Amino acid sequence: MNNIDAVQTLSEAKRAPLARIQDRLADWLPKLVLTPTLLVVLVCMYGYILWTGLLSLTNSRLLPVWNFIGTGQYDRLFDNDRWLVALNNLVLFGGLFILVCLALGVFLAILLDQKIRQEGALRTIYLYPMAISFIVTGTAWKWLLNPSLGLEKLVHSWGFDSFSFDWLVDPDRVVFCLVIAAVWQSSGFVMAMFLAGLRGVDQEMVKAAQLDGASMPTIYRRIILPSLKPVFFSAFVILAHIAIKSFDLVAALTGGGPGYSSDLPANFMYTHAFTRAQMGLGAASAMVMLGGVLAILVPYLYSELRGKRNA
Amino acid sequence: MAALTIDNVQKRYGQTEVLKGIDIAIDKGEFLILVGPSGCGKSTLMNSIAGLEEVSDGRILIGDQDVTRASPKDRDIAMVFQSYALYPNMTVRQNIAFGLEIRKVPKAEREAEVKRVAQMLQIEHLLERKPSQLSGGQRQRVAMGRALARRPRLYLFDEPLSNLDAKLRVEMRTEIKKLHQRLGTTIVYVTHDQIEAMTLADRIAVMRDGELLQLATPQEIYDNPANQFVAGFMGSPAMNFIPCQLAQGDTGIGVQLEDGNGQPVWLPLPDGGAGLQQAQLGKTVTLGLRPEMITEPQPHKAGQPLVREVAIRVDVTEPTGADTMVLTELSGVEVNCRVNPRYPLATGQLASLMFDMSKAVLFDPITEARLDN
Repeated sequence: MNNIDAVQTLSEAKRAPLARIQDRLADWLPKLVLTPTLLVVLVCMYGYILWTGLLSLTNSRLLPVWNFIGTGQYDRLFDNDRWLVALNNLVLFGGLFILVCLALGVFLAILLDQKIRQEGALRTIYLYPMAISFIVTGTAWKWLLNPSLGLEKLVHSWGFDSFSFDWLVDPDRVVFCLVIAAVWQSSGFVMAMFLAGLRGVDQEMVKAAQLDGASMPTIYRRIILPSLKPVFFSAFVILAHIAIKSFDLVAALTGGGPGYSSDLPANFMYTHAFTRAQMGLGAASAMVMLGGVLAILVPYLYSELRGKRNA
Repeated sequence: MAALTIDNVQKRYGQTEVLKGIDIAIDKGEFLILVGPSGCGKSTLMNSIAGLEEVSDGRILIGDQDVTRASPKDRDIAMVFQSYALYPNMTVRQNIAFGLEIRKVPKAEREAEVKRVAQMLQIEHLLERKPSQLSGGQRQRVAMGRALARRPRLYLFDEPLSNLDAKLRVEMRTEIKKLHQRLGTTIVYVTHDQIEAMTLADRIAVMRDGELLQLATPQEIYDNPANQFVAGFMGSPAMNFIPCQLAQGDTGIGVQLEDGNGQPVWLPLPDGGAGLQQAQLGKTVTLGLRPEMITEPQPHKAGQPLVREVAIRVDVTEPTGADTMVLTELSGVEVNCRVNPRYPLATGQLASLMFDMSKAVLFDPITEARLDN
């Protein structure tokens, strides 16, 4: 017995220095592994946000110049007609896009939740547009909506010569084309979110409501949809930030045209910062967009984190 | 007139028969409990009564109204669910008033009803809270309040206590019983807990595999089970089932088994084995004897004709405080005895215990059917 103990002590003593190194490594490993990512995020995200913020206070044009002029670029920005059109478009596009996406998504989810056959296949069909990039969506819808190529041409060739669908080339309506394409892409995703939410609804609750005498539409309106408030909130935040950072869709579908009538802030920023040598102005517009995103995200994060702490 | 009549109700999913012709009738104010192991069809029967599932055959009548094809809302019933099924987005007040609101009851009446129910269940201070802010027991009360608010003809309880912890379950059980006694409501209650069934029911319906095995009062089910399954399901610890032979004794037909010494022992049967034929002598049967019928020798019973003392070997003792459960082996099966804790027992030693055969029952070892009576 004593012998065995002695042998064990010996082997432990031999192992000790190695074990100590291993222990220290185990302590340091998480920090070591996380450091590169942390550095990249700090420099490339927050560093450049800071840099853009500083640039927006200078009169930089083609290249950064550290000549601070205060809020002059912001004054110029809000005097700029093109920026105001872009903001106006954002409100119109964002509002419609979010509303229609939510409405359509909820509607599809409710229909899919009726224990129908081939639900998996249908769900995939509705969800697939999400897998495509906005560039592809934009290009495809550009052809579909083009009066001389797509829908209008098709209906004309069926013999309805008076049919007209030229929103893509109508400066007053072109924003709606953006909405159509964006809704086509994103409503399936909203549907999937709501479907997951609906699946989580306690079926006994629905039965209880039936026994209480409520019809299915009433049950959805009064009980199920209100209980999905968190899903509405998440969907809203996701759709809102998609709307604000929309750039590729405009670039592919309308190129901002006709004229600059379908510009969104992201396109404005890109054009001024990188193609029109107005870096200061572009940076200012980027900061305004950042402000917009934060205005949505901060309350969301706040409510999420607070909710976690309570739970 | 019966408050609820279930007339030959059958339910099939494709080829699978879930309910194989159930017949139950209960009177107004009666507390019926459907009990059975999971998958026995009790929840399906409950849902059929509620109208949440359609029956394949048979009729369901509430009062004298045939509701077999009526939708749930036209049946005038209320249900309390296992998960409570409260509406999470509404306050307790709105939860209770929802059914009334849907039925277009005027606001003043609704308020009065909520107040009445809240008082009755002592949840007045919770009325403005959301369900997520309530404890399990409080949610249970609200769920009952929601059912009570509409004053329906029939209440259905679907395992309402199984999500509560043990102590609260006992409390709520008593509360439900009090409520039933006070309001005289007709209740159908589903549970898999035989203690709940025994304590609450006016009548118990024991089900297995979609069949109704026995419908009787709790005491009748306990003393006089229809078959071995019912006997084993009701009562805790479960009834002892001891294989033995039918044999003639000096007071009629009895059973013969081996005691703890391996010696044959003859035990009498109630009424001298009434209902048994001489021709069945020697046949192997299953003797059903509840643990509390095997006790320490009690002097006041000693002379009774159906009482015998048998030597057993004490294998394990399990003191519960009020009684000590003694495990022994008779005729090759484990037997539970309920003995006074003061009676001296030594593990591994022989002890003399008193077998009171006045409530003994016999079952066929193959069909599990009752043999006596």
